[in-house]
Amino acid sequence: MSAHVSIGGIPRIGIMESKDEVIRKRLLIDGDGAGDDRRINLLVKSFIKWCNSGSQEEGYSQYQRMLSTLSQCEFSMGKTLLVYDMNLREMENYEKIYKEIECSIAGAHEKIAECKKQILQAKRIRKNRQEYDALAKVIQHHPDRHETLKELEALGKELEHLSHIKESVEDKLELRRKQFHVLLSTIHELQQTLENDEKLSEVEEAQETSMEADPKP
Amino acid sequence: MPGSEGAGEELFPESCFALALRGSWTLAWGLESHPEILRGPNTKMEVFQTLQRLHMTIFSQSVSPCGKFLAAGNNYGQIAVFSLSAALSSEAKEESKKPVVTFQAHDGPVYSMVSTDRHLLSAGDGEVKAWLWAEILKKGCKELWRRQPPYRTSLEVPEINALLLVPKENSLILAGGDCQLHAMDLETGAFTRALRGHTDYIHCLALRERSPEVLSGGEDGAVRLWDLRTAKEVQTIEVYKHEECSRPHNGRWIGCLATDSDWMVCGGGPALTLWHLRSSTPTTIFPMRAPQKHVTFYQDLILSAGQGRCVNQWQLSGELKAQVPGSSPGLLSLSLNQQPAAPECKVLTAAGNSCRVDVFTNLGYRAFSLSF
Repeated sequence: MSAHVSIGGIPRIGIMESKDEVIRKRLLIDGDGAGDDRRINLLVKSFIKWCNSGSQEEGYSQYQRMLSTLSQCEFSMGKTLLVYDMNLREMENYEKIYKEIECSIAGAHEKIAECKKQILQAKRIRKNRQEYDALAKVIQHHPDRHETLKELEALGKELEHLSHIKESVEDKLELRRKQFHVLLSTIHELQQTLENDEKLSEVEEAQETSMEADPKP
Repeated sequence: MPGSEGAGEELFPESCFALALRGSWTLAWGLESHPEILRGPNTKMEVFQTLQRLHMTIFSQSVSPCGKFLAAGNNYGQIAVFSLSAALSSEAKEESKKPVVTFQAHDGPVYSMVSTDRHLLSAGDGEVKAWLWAEILKKGCKELWRRQPPYRTSLEVPEINALLLVPKENSLILAGGDCQLHAMDLETGAFTRALRGHTDYIHCLALRERSPEVLSGGEDGAVRLWDLRTAKEVQTIEVYKHEECSRPHNGRWIGCLATDSDWMVCGGGPALTLWHLRSSTPTTIFPMRAPQKHVTFYQDLILSAGQGRCVNQWQLSGELKAQVPGSSPGLLSLSLNQQPAAPECKVLTAAGNSCRVDVFTNLGYRAFSLSF
C-alpha cells in the first residue's frame, strides 16, 4: 500500500500497513466522523460540477457551498486533532498513576514483611512472658525466702540456748556425782577402819583368854 | 457377600452383622458414602480397596527436604507421597489431592518416619528402612538399606514406635517395644549404644537441643532424660506421681512429648502438662480431658491433637486459644512444614484414624484434605 494514506481527513504515515489494518482503522475512525469521507467525496464532485458549470450566479452559490463544506471538513479535522492530543495526554496520566500504584504496592509489601517480623518478635516476647508467669506461679506456692531464713535463725537460737542449758545441767550433775562418790568412798573407808578395829580388838580378846587359859596347868 | 475372602482387617465388626441381617448391608459397611459401589456390578478389587480405605489409620507423616512433598505411612505398611505444591497451587484439581505414588514399605504398620536432607527413614515392625527422596517418586522404588537394632532375644521382634534424628552427631535414635533406646550412626549403620532404664515400652522421643539430651516417654509413666555423650540417664520425671496432673482412670502412659530446651510438654494418660525441666516442676496443666497423642511447640503456642476431631491450640498460660476440627475422628500425628526451601507450602498437616490427611494453611481452619 502507499506510504502516505489519507483516511477521514487525518494524514496517516504508516509504513507498509496491510489492507486489513487500513480497513479496520477506517471503520474505527469513521464511526465518530459521521460521514467525513462522504463529505470529501461530495466536495470533489461539486468541485468538478462547478468547474463544468455555466452561469455566474450558480457558480458563485456553488462556490460558497464548496467553501462552507471545506471549512466544515477543516473544523472536524481540528476537532479530531484535539481529541488525539487529549488521548495522548490521558495515556501519559494513566501511565503515571500506574507507576505510582506499583510503587505503593511494593511499599505495602515491604510494610507487610516488616509487620510479620514484628509479629514474630511480639510472639516471642509473649512466650517469654508466659513462661515467666508460669514459673512465678510455681514459686509463689513456696514460702518466702526471708521468712524461712528468719524462722531458721530463731530455731537456731533456741537450739543454742537449749544446748547451753543442757550443758550446765550436765555439769551440775557431774559435780554432785563426784561429791557423792567422795562421800561414799569416805564412808566405806570409815566402815573398813571400824571393822578392822573391831577385828583387832576381837583378836586381842581372844589372845588374852587363851593366855589366861594357858598359865593354869 | 463382597469382601468375604477374609482379606483386610476388621471386615466383620459386630455391629455390621446386625445391620446386615436387617438387610441394609450398605449401611453395615458404611458404604452409603461411596455411591459408586452401590451402582452396578463392581469388581471385588474396588470393594476391597474401599473397605481398606475405611479401616485405614495413618500413623506417621514426614515432609521432604525440599518442602514440596509429604509422605504418610499407614497401618497396612504403605507409604504414600503427596505433592503439597500441586495441592496448594491455584490450579489444584481433585487428582492433586491423591498421592503421587504409593508403595508397600513394610510388612507391618509404619509407626514412625523422619527425613534427613536426602533420605526418608521409616520404621514400624522392628526394622528401619531408608528411601532416597530423589528416587521415591519413581515407580518400583527400592529401599536403600534396612537395619534391625540388636534385640535381646532373637524370637521377639518388637515394634519401633519412635525415631529421632540427632543432627549434631549424625545419628538416629530408635525406641519401641523392647524398652530400650538404640542409637545408630547414620554413616556407618552401626548401633553404637543401647540406653536402658524404661520398664515398659517407649512411645515417644524428643530432642533437647542445648545440652544434647534425648527425652523419652513410655508406658511406664516416666519421662527419662538421657545424656548422649555419657549414655546415662540424667533425670527422671514420673508424671503420674504428681497429683496435679495424674489421672489414674486413664492410666499412666506418656503418649506424646515435646521440648523447648527449658520446657517440656507431655501428655497421654495424665493430663497435658507443661514442665520446667530444670526444677522438674509441673507449671501449667492444660484442661483437656481426652488423652493427647501428639504435641508440638509452635511460635508462642502449643499445638496438640489426640482423641477427638480437633487440633487444639494452647497458650503457655493454659488457655485454649482455638480448637480447629479436622476430618478424622481421632488424630495421631501433626506435622508442620517449616522447610525454608518452600515457604509457600508452609502448612500444618494432621492425620489419624482415617485415610485422610487434613491440611491447614492458616491455623484457623481446615483448608482441604489429602486422601490415600
